[in-house]
Amino acid sequence: MLRSLVVFLLLTTAAAADTADGEALKAMTWDEIVEQARGGTVNWFMWGGADNINAYVSDYVAAVLKRDHDITLNRVPITDAAEVVNLVLTEKEAGITDSGSVDLIWINGENFRSMKQADLAFCGYTDLLPNNALVNWDNPAIANDFGVPVDGCEVPWNTVQFAFAHDSATLPDPPQDMAALIDWIKANPGRFTYPAPPDFTGSVFVRHVFYHAAGGPDALLGPFDQATFDVVAARTWAILNEIEPFLWRGGATYPTTITQLNELFANGEVAFTFNYDPAQFGIAVQAGIYPDTVRSFGLTDGTIGNTNYTLIPFNSPNKAAAMVVQNVLLSGEAQLEKARTEVWGAAPAIEITRTTPEVQAGFAAIKGHPSVVPSEELARAALPELQADWLVAIEEGWKANVGN
Amino acid sequence: MLAPALLVLGGLFLTGLGLSLLRSFRYIPALGLTDPDLGAYAAVLTAPGFLTSLGLSLWIATASTLIASTLALGAALLLRQTFTGRAIISFLFQINLTIPHVVGAVGILYLVSQSGSFARLAHAGGLIGAPSEFPPLTHDPFAIGIILTYVWKEVPFIGLILLASLQSIRPEHEAAARSLGANRWQVFRHVLLPLLMPALAAASALVFAFAFGAYEIPLILGAHAPEALPVAAWRSFTAIDLATRPQAHAMAIVIALIGAVLLALYARVALRKGGRDAV
Amino acid sequence: MRSNHWQIIGAALLALALILPMVPLAIWSLAHGWRFPDLLPRAWSLKAWDYALSAPSGVLQSLWITIWIALATTALAALVGVPAGRALGLHDFRGKRLVLLLMIAPALIPAIAIAPGLHGVFLRLGLTGGTGGVILAHLIPTLPYMVLIMAAVFARFDTVHEDQARSLGAAPWQVWRHVTLPAIAPGLLTACLFAFLVSWSQYLLTLAVGSGRVQTLPLLLYSFAAAGRNDVTGAIALIYILPGVLVVALTARQVTGRHPALMAGP
Repeated sequence: MLRSLVVFLLLTTAAAADTADGEALKAMTWDEIVEQARGGTVNWFMWGGADNINAYVSDYVAAVLKRDHDITLNRVPITDAAEVVNLVLTEKEAGITDSGSVDLIWINGENFRSMKQADLAFCGYTDLLPNNALVNWDNPAIANDFGVPVDGCEVPWNTVQFAFAHDSATLPDPPQDMAALIDWIKANPGRFTYPAPPDFTGSVFVRHVFYHAAGGPDALLGPFDQATFDVVAARTWAILNEIEPFLWRGGATYPTTITQLNELFANGEVAFTFNYDPAQFGIAVQAGIYPDTVRSFGLTDGTIGNTNYTLIPFNSPNKAAAMVVQNVLLSGEAQLEKARTEVWGAAPAIEITRTTPEVQAGFAAIKGHPSVVPSEELARAALPELQADWLVAIEEGWKANVGN
Repeated sequence: MLAPALLVLGGLFLTGLGLSLLRSFRYIPALGLTDPDLGAYAAVLTAPGFLTSLGLSLWIATASTLIASTLALGAALLLRQTFTGRAIISFLFQINLTIPHVVGAVGILYLVSQSGSFARLAHAGGLIGAPSEFPPLTHDPFAIGIILTYVWKEVPFIGLILLASLQSIRPEHEAAARSLGANRWQVFRHVLLPLLMPALAAASALVFAFAFGAYEIPLILGAHAPEALPVAAWRSFTAIDLATRPQAHAMAIVIALIGAVLLALYARVALRKGGRDAV
Repeated sequence: MRSNHWQIIGAALLALALILPMVPLAIWSLAHGWRFPDLLPRAWSLKAWDYALSAPSGVLQSLWITIWIALATTALAALVGVPAGRALGLHDFRGKRLVLLLMIAPALIPAIAIAPGLHGVFLRLGLTGGTGGVILAHLIPTLPYMVLIMAAVFARFDTVHEDQARSLGAAPWQVWRHVTLPAIAPGLLTACLFAFLVSWSQYLLTLAVGSGRVQTLPLLLYSFAAAGRNDVTGAIALIYILPGVLVVALTARQVTGRHPALMAGP
């Protein structure tokens, strides 16, 4: 009764009425939310550096939304999700609680932690999305974003797992585990480097060394532990300082971004690059940035995987429409489309077995890009991500002990 | 007549600065910080990298300004005299002015990096066998790539201001000096340079301030450590931990203070005559 | 004659240095990959241009927005800055130095020091996320150039001519149109050019006040440059340079300093 009354009131207000009131939405059924969302505009802030991802969103996703839900999707390209965290934070400071400029963010764990830290996320609504049923929330790598519980504040979009890339024409047999890689670096001076943390990708490389120094991640899972950290960190810095003279430019400087490392790799200055999303290697080959002979691989001791998500800020005025966007992104069809090699090659965030037979057949028919290591192959040795407090400590420690 | 300009600059610029100042005192209610103190400044000023960052930024600004103003002075004097191609150069000067710094930085990067166009030419000429043999001009400890970009961008800027200033110098001054037997150098030293000085000082101050405070170019061309001060500020603005935001604001205020010192120097040099020859 | 020779060599070197960094950008925009040690790309492609000129990339839309913001900022800066420049150039008054300092301050105090605070101010004024707010924000770094250049222009301006026109019965508008404007026109054009350019290359203030929603070309360019897409970066960079080239081509004669009196040279 009360719910219908709320809906009635909302429906009778002006057509332009926004849907900033998340609590009211949570009291509705999905059909009512979809009705509320009709005619809305969603400003989706997302990393804009890949033309194929941009095209997937601007062409495919936007068209589906327009056709099925009369929703306009406005893709707002950004360089760093941290900028958006600042934006929403400043809005909160200024008391803007229902007319924020951001409706949806493509976000990763570190920035999610910041959003949660300052109560900037709209939470507790994800069960309402019908396609939420396709998500396996029992998987801790999905239910936790860098160790921070998702708590219904985010909707998964892609799963990724770290991989290395090498040029098979010049280096046919790359080292297969971390110990071998460290030996290779020492035997091939100047041919390896990694971006200086806090670069996102450089930071995850250092965590692989950290896991190696700890003899595996088991002792590191759970909340931050200073005693364990001190022991493992000392060993990690010793390894990294030991290889430093054998790095690019003798370790006198490090690339500041993953882009810079990619550039070094493309020009043959270093023998490896790496990425959290192996699909990026295929994208780079298609764009002509890397030679066709580039191949990618994981390590036998495992590589770190995680999930990336979309999030609605607490002050979005178009929450209903943003929820519909999230639901569309989660659909089997949309996940299949972006998994196609020629579109993006992104691994799905849903359980394929829970989708329709057509979608399942579609996934089965995908032929991977030769430069991209198949996600099933990587998944055989997957390592969990550490909680954000570890990350911060490792990044700070690297700066003080290695990168000084 | 002044009111609208004062309203824009006083109302917006100063208020914005004030808000940053407030936050630098660790007053950010949205983050639960409500007791102002000087903790952020203490943290910023005693951080291990602060002095080297400050030193690097001062080095970049000083070197860029000196090189750019010397070259610009030469170019301006060259340009005002009659010769073929002068129109093309002045046109290129202005074209260059329209090219954003970021574009210039990327262009310089493609040109002088260890695998850039120059390195490729050196390779083709048999001078080097691999990129690592080419001298590091980007991401290097002396910030050569950064300084190159600023020089490339600011020579035309200073040059055009000097040209505009030369426009107002009556040729009779020079002609008189020449007729009194002064040679080229003496005319330059005793007639042109003093007349150009206010414009040169003003333009140099603008260039210095920009090279000191901009973060885009050191971000693209700088080494990982030490990082230029504005880069350090930008990094702490986008740091994971929101609790360090006051330090980011404190760093911004420190940068602004250095800008203010510059402003005071500018006032002494360029505004000595009550602003009549400010530009 | 010998010195003329050196002038030509110097000018040629200067021209080369000015053009050189743009060459790899232009080549990149047409390259399908371009790796060391290739002097030229092995494969050429128009895909970067295809993408940059396609609707979903938003580049052309950004171009119009950037032009509109720069033009509006310039007009507004002239409207606000010319009277201020006149006051500062023609009159002496108490506190003039302080006013001058305030006018110069935004040019000397880096944007990174004011952008975060400014964002807060504009949020409270409800001016974020739209072109209006961005134009207002761009006024801050453009006004110093407008005001100072106009102050210098008016410092050399003789009001006698205005008085004469007035005494002959000209209306204020006529005095402005037929006496003042022609006298200050070259300086005003220079000031407008500077204002346009400062707005044109503004990054941080647009990002902060536009809340990312006002996508000007520098924002778009930076997101591709940061992602290492050199081909798309090259194409956008060239599109970005084009309007500036046109503006300069149209105003070139007035700014070069080729005053007839100087044509003779020493």
